[in-house]
This record gives sequence, C-alpha cells and structure tokens, in this order.
Amino acid sequence: MKMIPGDPFSLSTSIGELSNEQNSNTNPNPNPPPPTKKKRNLPGTPDPDAEVIALSPKTLMATNRFVCEICNKGFQRDQNLQLHRRGHNLPWKLRQRSNKEVRKKVYICPEKTCVHHDAARALGDLTGIKKHYSRKHGEKKWKCEKCSKKYAVQSDWKAHTKTCGTREYKCDCGTLFSRKDSFITHRAFCDALAEESSKLTSSVATSSLNFKSQDVMNTQGGLTSRGLITGQGMQNVPQFGAHMFHQRPNLSLWLNQGNHHMNNPLDVASSSSSGVPEGLQMAQANNAMLGSSSIFSNFGMPPSNSSNPNLSLSPLMGKKGEGGAPDLVTLYSESQSKNSNSASPMSATALLQKAAQMGSTRSTNPSIFSGNFGVMSSSSTQTTTLNSNNNASQSCYQLDQAFQNMNQQENFNATSSGATMLGSSSFSSLTHSSNGLDQFMMQNNMKLHHPAGSNTVEHNLTRDFLGVSGSGGTHHPFLPQELAKFASLGSSMGLNQFTAGHQ
Amino acid sequence: MDTSPYTRNNHLTTLFHSNHNHNNNINIAVDEVALDNMHRANHSHTSTSRSSDAASETAEDANKWASKLLRECAKAISERDSTKTHHLLWMLNELASPYGDCDQKLASYFLQALFCKATESGERCYKTLSSVAEKNHSFDSMRKLILKFQEVSPWTTFGHVASNGAILEAFEGHPKLHIVDISNTLCTQWPTLLEALATRNDETPHLKLTVLALTGSVIKEVGQRMEKFARLMGVPFQFNVINGLSDITKEGLGIGEDEAVAVNCVGALRRVEVEERENLIRAFKSLSPKVVTVVEEEADFRSCGEDFTKCFEECLRFYTLYFEMLEESFPATSNERLMLERECSRSIVRVLACCGEEFEDGGGECERRERGSQWCERLRNVFSPFGCSDDVVDDVKALLKRYRPGWSLLVSQSQGEDHVSGIYLTWKEEPVVWASAWKP
Repeated sequence: MKMIPGDPFSLSTSIGELSNEQNSNTNPNPNPPPPTKKKRNLPGTPDPDAEVIALSPKTLMATNRFVCEICNKGFQRDQNLQLHRRGHNLPWKLRQRSNKEVRKKVYICPEKTCVHHDAARALGDLTGIKKHYSRKHGEKKWKCEKCSKKYAVQSDWKAHTKTCGTREYKCDCGTLFSRKDSFITHRAFCDALAEESSKLTSSVATSSLNFKSQDVMNTQGGLTSRGLITGQGMQNVPQFGAHMFHQRPNLSLWLNQGNHHMNNPLDVASSSSSGVPEGLQMAQANNAMLGSSSIFSNFGMPPSNSSNPNLSLSPLMGKKGEGGAPDLVTLYSESQSKNSNSASPMSATALLQKAAQMGSTRSTNPSIFSGNFGVMSSSSTQTTTLNSNNNASQSCYQLDQAFQNMNQQENFNATSSGATMLGSSSFSSLTHSSNGLDQFMMQNNMKLHHPAGSNTVEHNLTRDFLGVSGSGGTHHPFLPQELAKFASLGSSMGLNQFTAGHQ
Repeated sequence: MDTSPYTRNNHLTTLFHSNHNHNNNINIAVDEVALDNMHRANHSHTSTSRSSDAASETAEDANKWASKLLRECAKAISERDSTKTHHLLWMLNELASPYGDCDQKLASYFLQALFCKATESGERCYKTLSSVAEKNHSFDSMRKLILKFQEVSPWTTFGHVASNGAILEAFEGHPKLHIVDISNTLCTQWPTLLEALATRNDETPHLKLTVLALTGSVIKEVGQRMEKFARLMGVPFQFNVINGLSDITKEGLGIGEDEAVAVNCVGALRRVEVEERENLIRAFKSLSPKVVTVVEEEADFRSCGEDFTKCFEECLRFYTLYFEMLEESFPATSNERLMLERECSRSIVRVLACCGEEFEDGGGECERRERGSQWCERLRNVFSPFGCSDDVVDDVKALLKRYRPGWSLLVSQSQGEDHVSGIYLTWKEEPVVWASAWKP
C-alpha cells in the first residue's frame, strides 16, 4: 500500500503537507510529478511501517502529554519538559533521552464512524489528529463575532476572525461585496447566473443518476470557469467560442470590438493563458459550455454605439502560457480530487470564495460595471415606468382636477363625478405637455430597445452589460434631470404630486 | 411655486377669517402657526406679517408641521367638518411633495389617502394605484428594488435571518424538506438558506419550495433563478408556484408523507382579511409542519373601521418611522427609495380610505397589520412557541452590525400565560418588525 512513490521526505512530514514539500524540496525521485499538476494526496495515508496508536478521546484531548517520569508533572511541550527535567539534577546517563530508534507513530481517530478510525487512514501527527477530532467530532466553542460562524479549534477561530469581513466577494457581473450574505443573495438573482445555467440545461444531460455528481462537476467547473472569466475580463471567450459555438453568428462582431481601451490587456494577458488549459479540461468535463456560453451570450449583441472598452479581445487571442496558470489548474484538480472523496461538493462556499478570490485578484474595471450597472438598470426601470404611466396617470390627473375644481368652487361637496366632468375638459391640455416630455424620454431610450434581432432575455442582459459602457453617457443624467423636469411640470400645472405614478 | 408668498398669505387670511365662526380659535392658531413656520422653513426670504407670537416656536415645529396638519385634517374628516377639511386639504396640497423632505412626503401620501377618504373614492384610487404599480413591476425593477433595500436596511433581512435560523434548526437531520412560502420578499430569503443547506450538512438534503403567490407577475422568473442557484449550490431542488391561498392542504400543495414541512410567512398574514386569519392558521396546522415562522410589521391597523382617528394616528406613527428610516438608509437621490415610498402610498390609501364594510373584496391586499402581541394571541390557540435559540440571536446581532447604527434587537421578555414570544427589530428604540417561530 505504498502511496507516495519513493519520496524519502514523506516519512518525516505530516501527511497533509506532502504536496508542498514535494514542490519545494529537491526530489531524488526519477519521475517527479509535474509541479503544476500536483494532486493533494488523501489525508491520512500513512507509511505502512508506522506504529498505529489508538488513543481514547480523553487521552487525545489531554493538554499535557509530556510527563516528567520523576515527579509526573505534565507539560504541553517537549522542550518545557526537558527544561523541567534539568531541575531534577539527573545523573548524566539518565539525562539523555533514550536513543533507540523511535518508531514512527500514526494515530487513528477514536470516533468509530469517522474515516480516520481505520488504520489505513491514520494521521501521522498528534496535533493533527487532535485538531481533526475537535473539528469533526468536538463541540464548537469558539464563535466569530461578526458572522457567527463557529469553530471547535481556537486557532481556526483566530485565523477566521482576522480575515472575517476583510474578504471581498466578486460576482461575475463585476459587483464587489464585502458581505457574504448580500453576495449570495445577489448571486442567486444575478443575470450572469441566469444565462450560464440556461445553457447548461440545454446542453448537459441531466439524468437522475448523475444528478449529484453532475451537479458537483457543474458547480466546480462552473465556478472555476466563472472565476477565471471574471478575473480575466472575459478575454478568454473567443477561444471557447471559436471551439465550442460555431453556430454563433456574432463572433465576428464581438472580435471587432478589440480596438478600444487597451489598458486591460496588459493586466490580463498573463492570465489569459490559464483559461486555455482550463477550458480544455472543462470541455472534457462537459463544462466548457457553461463558462463560455454565459459570457458569449452576454456579448452576443453589439451595442448600438460600438464603443466597448471592456471587450478588447483581439490582441489576446493568440497568447499562451504565462503565469497565473498553475494556481488555477491546481484549484481545479484539487477540487476534483476532493470531490471524489465526498458525496457533496468540496464546500460550495469554499468554491464560491475561491472563485471570488480568483476574480478579486485580477479585477478589470469593476467600477465601470457596477457603477453603470446601477445606472442602466435605473434608467430601464424609469423607461418602463414612464411608458406605462401615460395611461394610468391620466386617472390620477382626474383626481387632481377634482381637487382643484373643488377649491375654486369652495364647495366641498362638489362630488367627484362633477369634478371629473370639469376635469376632463381641461384634461387634454394637462396631458399634452406631459406627453411631450414622455416622448422626449422615449426617444432617448429608443436605442436601448432595438439591438437587432435579439430576444427579450438577451436584450435585457445586453443592455445591462454593454449599454453600461456604451450608452452610459446618454443616460447618466437621467434621474436628477427627470425629477427636476417633473417637479417643474407639476408645479406649472398646479398639480402638486398627486399623481401616484408620476416620475 | 409660481404664486408669491405674499399673495398666498393674504388668500389664506381671507379664508380663515371668513370661516372664523365655524372653527374654534385654537385650531386656527395652530394652523396659522404651522403655516407660518412652514413658510419660514421653505422660503427663507419671506417675512410674514404675523410672525410675532409664532417666533418662539422655531425649527422644532417647522419640522413637524406635517403630522400636525394631517392630524387636524383627519380629525376634521371624522367630525365631518367639511369646511375645515377643505382648508386643511388645500394647505397640505400646497406644502406637500413626494420629492421633498420627510414631512413633505408624508404630507403628500397621507393627503392622497385623506382626500380619498373625504371624497369616498378610496376604492377607485386604490385600483388605479394598483394597476399602475402592476405595470411597473418588472422582474428587473423588483429585483433591483428589493436587493438594494436589503443592502441598506435590515427591515426584511431581519425576518429572513430569524426565520432561516428556526427553519434550519427544525429541519436538522431530515433528508427531505418542503417549505411552504407565503412572503412578500420574492424569495430573497432562500439563497442564504440554500447555501447553509449545501455547506452545513454532510448530506445535502432535498428541498422543495412551494410559493403561494399573492401577486403573480414576477414570481415565475424568480422561481427560475432559484432553481438555477440551487443547481449551483448543489442542492437538489424543486420549485412550485400556486396562486392564492385557497387550497392549503397537503394534497393541494403537493406535500409528500416523508417530507418535513415548514411554513414561512413574511409580511403575508396581514394580507388576509381579519376574519379569515384564524382559519388560515388552522390550515397551517393541518399540514403538520415542523415549524411555522411568522414575520410582521409592528403596527395595529385593525380599528380603521370603527375609530378613524385612532387608526390614523397609528398609521401616521408607523409610516413616519418607515419614511424616516428610508430617508436615513438610502442615499439622497435614490430611485429605489422613491419606489418604496410609492409602494406605501397604496397601503396608506388602502388602510385609511378603504375600511368601510362596502370594501370587502380588496383583491387580496388587505394590509391590516397587527402587532406581534396580537398575532401571538391568534397563533397560541393553535401552536406553541418555538424558542429563539442563542445561535439565532447571535446571527441576528451579527446581521445588524453590518448595517448603519440605529438598529437593534429586542428579545421579548414578557412572561406568563399571555407572554409575547418572538424577537423585535427596533429602529431608534421603536419596535418595527416582529419575528417569531411556532411549532405544533
């Protein structure tokens, strides 16, 4: 049951650190595993010659395991014990520790149901087994103040509180979040998610047998690809697109937009390559469509104005093989190997976070996305409001008219029906000026509504993404301007905000 | 405004003096003072001729003119004093604006409701507002609105965190879960629950989510997003929509025998007509749920049929809090805040102007809120309280820390037979949202 091919260093290190050791030390093994494709070994694959020790939970969790043989005082650390022993004035012979060959000890978890209860999966480090036991089977006594996450091991808790709240989560759409819960909720409703998954359902077979593993694969592949693509500002997609979606007619349009801002490519060039091996891997895993399609469909439609600063793609088409690749590939293979252990995904949160980390280290103008994203959506909202309000606001005008007429007659009991009659006569003049304004605004928004030949869903997505940078200028002053217009409108007509639908 | 303040003052003076006999002096003084202060606040260049005795009441009153005027107006309406009502409505109309400060906004939306009440056109106005709103409710706009609201204020997320905590506790160890969701938050509660299900357990359970939709338009799209997100999380998931609350039975909702059921009601029970609430709660019991979570806003609008002034007071109090909260939470030129305020206008009209017996069928949007203590009375007849664990309290506290100061958690302390169970979200020491959990 030899696990690691002849690596002499494996004996002296804890199992979990093996991969790192191999990477950093010179390896006399004639067939060293390629450093970039290092797979983490299963934790708990010990040297077969080692002595297996089974401790009871009590003994395991005892804090003072180094005991002085003379006075039976317990110490947490061996060095402390030695210092103490000096004080006993031992004769020279007894002072030395016994120097017979110390047999390597490995430990098994006392919990019967645990994987590591089996001697074949024993852990080599006592501290390791103690921590494992606490984490998996112990009571979680340490709690983070900020997010209420609980930990059994104090060092885990400390490490978490240091980073809690400092990590940023990045969605594929480019928005950054400091709070995990708002990130998750946003992610669930984000348009980027919707497009990707729709491609997934159409292209990937979903037999019930494969449901779980498929999901897991999709989760991982989807996340890593998304993480990649986020980080690289979607520069990879031409490669995916070219390979995967021959039927997509708009590839050429998309490529033509490479002329514009060149500030991104330099940042991203080095990492663009990592997309390629990932892409190929994922293609094999049937997940490539997941990543590529999402970005592709987002960019499927050209915006009405051709300026698109974030799609500088053509210079990057041919680049291959610089840095950035190893960690991503490792990520993927790590998640692969971990996945084969457990039935459920590596940890959906961890995957999300890794994807986010990938993204956040190579951000490409998130401000443009997030900032204009907001503007775009608000203007689209206002557009719909406006367009649909024309009719509805009329009846609200009626109420206003009723009120105005009541004032003039100083007769409170003039019924609304009477007032309505009066109101409708001057009605047209009221709606006239407002209609003019509406038309003006509609014309402004016309561009948003007519990219050629797209369906509604892509349409909205396109608007959100591309229109962001393209027509941001036109729509940016929307809100305050329009509000001001309406305010003056209302007052000039003597209507003071009686209209519910008015904007 | 086009008219100069001087001419307007004179006009009002005429009005007041001509009606002097009908109104008592105190009311006039209040009105005059309020108007003076309002002018002073709005038009700093103005100096009115009657400012002498009103000078002592300075910015304080100027800030609160809306509530005074509105109260006066409500009183006048309930006393059927048409002249006074007329005056006050006119004054409010001059001063109100949905784009102004808090007072102006409150004046504007309450004016609309009072006007409808006075002219008995509440039902029609409500229908108009509803149809306008329906046209504006696209998936994108609703999503943006609710997510932004949740980002700046814990008003809804408070209830979500508390409910999810209780649900997860109740569902511990069950492999097949079924949540019956009757909420007004468009499933924004569920992504974090899905994430917790995916990451918490070694064995991810299967989750079925059945949404009982009260307003049908965007829920389909929401469901699609939920399905996709669940796939991303690796949680086996099924989504169903049922319109309306008519068939709350195991068969009607598709509840399997081996499923653990939770019923989740966020801002939903108040939509049910007051007489029907008892039956609905019993219907929940028939589903044999493991837990029933109820989240409601803390206000009592039940008395609007009988005592208009009292109900009006309560309505004004609640919405003042809400509008102030919105103003302080959102940035100044927020479109989302405007939309939320406009959503309120419908509720306000509904509560104040549609209360009579003739307005029985409101199309499903009753909006008669009750306080937590009152809901407790109803629920206690059928269920028993599901204690709020320390974990949930910690989670809620951690949540509130992520928002602006001003928010805090109040755990209901009352004891004994009639004790109120649940936790309250407080804004500046005022309880605004109540969250609770119940078990059979």
